Amino acid sequence: MKKNLLNKYSLFAQDTFVQPQSKMIGIKKAASNPILHYIIFGVIIMVVLYMAVQLKVLPYSWYGGIIYTAAYSISSIGFCLLMGYSGLASLGTGGFIGIGCYAVYYVTALSGLPFIVSVIAAIVIAAVIGVIVGFISLRIESIYLVILTLGLSEILRNIYMSLSDSINIGTIKIFGSALKTADVMYVIIPVLIIIMIITHNIIVSPTGRAMLAMKNSTAAAQAMGISLLKYRLMAFIICTIYAAISGSMLILRSGAATASSGTSFYALITSLNILAAVIIGGYKSIWGAVFGTFVMYGLNSTILQSIPFFTENPALITIISGVLVIVVVMFYPGGLAQLLQNLKFTFAKWKKKIREDKYGKDIG
Amino acid sequence: MAKILANILPSPANKLALKRKELHWIVSELDSLEEVTSKREQEEIAKIKFSLNKRLNKAAFDACDKNEYVQELIYNKLLSYDVKNYMNHRALNHGLIKKIFKAKRENKPIDALIAEHDKKYDELKIKRAKYVDKLEQEKQRFLAKYTTTSSQDYENLKKELMLEFEQKADGIKKELAAKMQKTRAQLEQKAAKVKEEMAELKKQVPDAATLPDDVLLQVKGLKMYFGGLKAVDDLTFDVKKGEIFGLIGPNGAGKTTVFNCITRFYNATGGDMYFENRQGEVVDLRSFKVHDVILQGISRTFQNVELVKEISVLDNLLVACTREYRSGFWAHLIGLPMVKKEENILKLKAMRILKFMGIEAYANWYAMGLPYGILKKVEIARALMLDSRLIIMDEPAAGLNDTETADLAQTIKRIRDEFNATILLVEHDMKLVMGICDTVCAISFGQMLAIGTPQEVQANQAVQQAYLGAMEE
Repeated sequence: MKKNLLNKYSLFAQDTFVQPQSKMIGIKKAASNPILHYIIFGVIIMVVLYMAVQLKVLPYSWYGGIIYTAAYSISSIGFCLLMGYSGLASLGTGGFIGIGCYAVYYVTALSGLPFIVSVIAAIVIAAVIGVIVGFISLRIESIYLVILTLGLSEILRNIYMSLSDSINIGTIKIFGSALKTADVMYVIIPVLIIIMIITHNIIVSPTGRAMLAMKNSTAAAQAMGISLLKYRLMAFIICTIYAAISGSMLILRSGAATASSGTSFYALITSLNILAAVIIGGYKSIWGAVFGTFVMYGLNSTILQSIPFFTENPALITIISGVLVIVVVMFYPGGLAQLLQNLKFTFAKWKKKIREDKYGKDIG
Repeated sequence: MAKILANILPSPANKLALKRKELHWIVSELDSLEEVTSKREQEEIAKIKFSLNKRLNKAAFDACDKNEYVQELIYNKLLSYDVKNYMNHRALNHGLIKKIFKAKRENKPIDALIAEHDKKYDELKIKRAKYVDKLEQEKQRFLAKYTTTSSQDYENLKKELMLEFEQKADGIKKELAAKMQKTRAQLEQKAAKVKEEMAELKKQVPDAATLPDDVLLQVKGLKMYFGGLKAVDDLTFDVKKGEIFGLIGPNGAGKTTVFNCITRFYNATGGDMYFENRQGEVVDLRSFKVHDVILQGISRTFQNVELVKEISVLDNLLVACTREYRSGFWAHLIGLPMVKKEENILKLKAMRILKFMGIEAYANWYAMGLPYGILKKVEIARALMLDSRLIIMDEPAAGLNDTETADLAQTIKRIRDEFNATILLVEHDMKLVMGICDTVCAISFGQMLAIGTPQEVQANQAVQQAYLGAMEE
């Protein structure tokens, strides 16, 4: 109404209210920036952890569950980039995680250098191994590559066992003060958020598109000037580096690890869990990778443990993840990220159905 | 030692390639300059309009007829009230109909139902009447608060603002035009400088061979053996500049193998291939890797559509430009604004090409699920993104119906004329080949049967034999 009258009394009748963007739209635009979402997510996680550790509002087991999820998520995101965007597969995540653990042990705990140096050392070693696997991936593809990386992971694990079977890093100093277990979150969560933002940047950039093109058709990618060598190396280097960073975060939280035990960070079970996490969450989504990791590593200690039924039957907890993998692969090949999108449509359908039940069908 | 150093230090050829990239960007920036400026101009003018209107609003409110204003205000409020309550009325009516049907099925009286319905209906009516009363009171309050002033002030202000607008708009237009001129001059200066440097570097890099003036691609004695199988055996032909060259032959004749040799998917067993690239130098194609061929100005399409299905059509065109970006991996990783700027320039170009192909409506659609005919067009558009001199099309009409094929023939001709490209195509659709090709080359079992105009090839006996079998005497 006001619009009509003002149109009548305004200078330019037609396009008064079309241009330009108002302040509100500007805020909306800023809020739709995905990088801001990652930061907000990080803040929320920090608040939850603070509630669990300092305020004791939430049970303490939440702290361990979420921190482990965050640390493992880093390697899931790398795996997501490798599998969903470059079309390559690997079962070597466990072995690559070990690089980070042992770098922290040798460089920081034994030699006394700063923590950041050990992370850089882990990144350098991981990059070298990534280059090796990347070169191999030019010759070998699909299931054979998976077997090969599995072998490499076992070789790495045996090297760790002969180096030093069980490691204990003791207390680590960061910025001159000893890091307590309760303060680990101030290191791990920011690292996770930075990794998420970096990965997002890669995915939406020309590099991400080139990787997708390579996944879809190697012939077309090469004809468009995309070098398979360069991008496969890149994908594997990113994946191994992320896994190594994730390893150094894990050892920071746990303090000690044993290579010969079947449930250590660098056992085969880790590689399989990360694979399952990425499949559950959605192999083309960063949020999906994080959520899938939560299902694999965090769901048990946060939610399921508070349900008496599961504390009585702990075997059922492992069954849940197995059933989830089967259900997701059968009904939602795009993972839980796809499920969320489908839910939106389903809600719209329900709304329509409820309305029709209440008021009768639309007559026209 | 000198050899190692020569490998590490940038060679003149590498320097030349870098200069080329620079020149390419300067040229594309020059191309998109006008579009960017006009967009900017529209935005600025809209901003001015908005701010001027804001200044006028108060005067307009004072000048407007308050009776008319409040009438409209109240009408609108009532309308929105009715719209909101429409669902309630409908629910009542439909509920009544349902209940009556149910009661009739069970042979129960319906009078009570109708009475109940009427009661509810009356309640709604009373509610509405109350709302109307409230609006009436609002109207009185409004009229008491504001009075209508003379419209003279408003008219004066309007005239003043209109003048101001014209001045400001003129100023902005002039300013932007001057800015554009300045940028254009700067870019042109840069381009001239780069060209000079390139000319100097070019003297240090000798051509691989010399070609006749009108020849773009020369294939000499091409051989491709797979073990004992001679897929292509001693094939020689020239592709002239600006022509449509058709390669025909029965199934298994080795047409696609020839393509794959030219685009370096196969490493030819023997023979030479010389090509005059985008910069007018003659290069030996055999010295390039498969992913470097596109930089020389050869782009290709595929027999089966090979697009990235998970991204939009526009992004698919950008994939072709992966090698064009000046920003490297680290810039992508941090997400520098430079990447966005480059992408915007490329997007403008991509939109131009999509418009040329007549599929700009599909720019933001996912490639997954689009019809096959459109996907074929997208693939041709992708090949056009890099201003290639030679476009190689592998069976562009495969899977298209008659109308689409006729459309394709026109498109191919337009591409040749407007993009100054030479086209080399393999096709089984003889109507298309004979209709548009300037030269046709027929091969069979990797060997040349005939080359010449379509009529000559059609009349050739060897070709007829290869297609139709030997004539019995």
